[in-house]
Amino acid sequence: MPELPELNPVVHGKLRLALLSLLSGVEEAEFTWLRQRTGATDGNLGAQLLKLEEAGYVSVKKRFVQRKPQSLYRMTETGRQALAEYVRALKQLLGGAISG
Amino acid sequence: MTASNETQELKDRLGLIESMIAEGRRTTSIYGWTFALWGVAYYVAIYLDAVLHFHLAWEVTMTSAAVLTAILCKSRSCSHPPTTTGRALGALWFGTGFSMFIVLFSLGYSGRMDLPIFVAVICGMLGSVNAASSVILKWKLQFACALVWWATTIYACFGKGHYLMTVFVAAIFFCQIVFGIYLMIIEARHRQQGAAHA
Repeated sequence: MPELPELNPVVHGKLRLALLSLLSGVEEAEFTWLRQRTGATDGNLGAQLLKLEEAGYVSVKKRFVQRKPQSLYRMTETGRQALAEYVRALKQLLGGAISG
Repeated sequence: MTASNETQELKDRLGLIESMIAEGRRTTSIYGWTFALWGVAYYVAIYLDAVLHFHLAWEVTMTSAAVLTAILCKSRSCSHPPTTTGRALGALWFGTGFSMFIVLFSLGYSGRMDLPIFVAVICGMLGSVNAASSVILKWKLQFACALVWWATTIYACFGKGHYLMTVFVAAIFFCQIVFGIYLMIIEARHRQQGAAHA
């Protein structure tokens, strides 16, 4: 019997998974846009983004626009690979269940 | 946790990934208003030119519409992240718009422009950009708009002169005004779905 794959715990968190999926479809995104799309609180969103940043899955660029701080998040190549591997593992775990 | 609960949890994760990726890509289709705006701008230019006989009707109206589009795009793009598809489409429309401006401005000032040439050039270019955009977005309805523009180009070259303005106005109505309003309705529905999802 083939061994079932482990799901990456950094990617598996629901909000972190939503963030990586959102970032995979865009070039870069502002903190406020990510908050709007996920409905997360500032504190929770900041903490989860920090975890993704520490894992090397996202990079952040901070700048000032009209004297207001702006954080722009971008998915790294490592993050893209991690999400792809996670999806592969998820599909493998689900097996025939996803077709039903 | 039972096996079926676990399976459902994993399925939910997969659904979340798909919906979030779609949410990010949705930001490329937020410019329905530009079609309607440019449709109105063409009508204003036609009115100023044909009814009020304003010599610089097209130059002034098109430049004003371009400036207005740039300002509105800039203010709207602040709240939407850039996507590769969005950038490709933006480049396509910018290039076509600039080419149209150069060609029509030059033809106008050299005195070599008449109505059939004018309509043929505008509609030919609009056909090209709509067709390219429809291929990028895999969107048959926009390709239908391209076909209407190309048909108007052919009519401008071979058709009877006194019906040309009517055909041109009708093409603007269907491919700019109706198509733009249809896009705006779709976008409003997406926004509502997004709000319900949140």
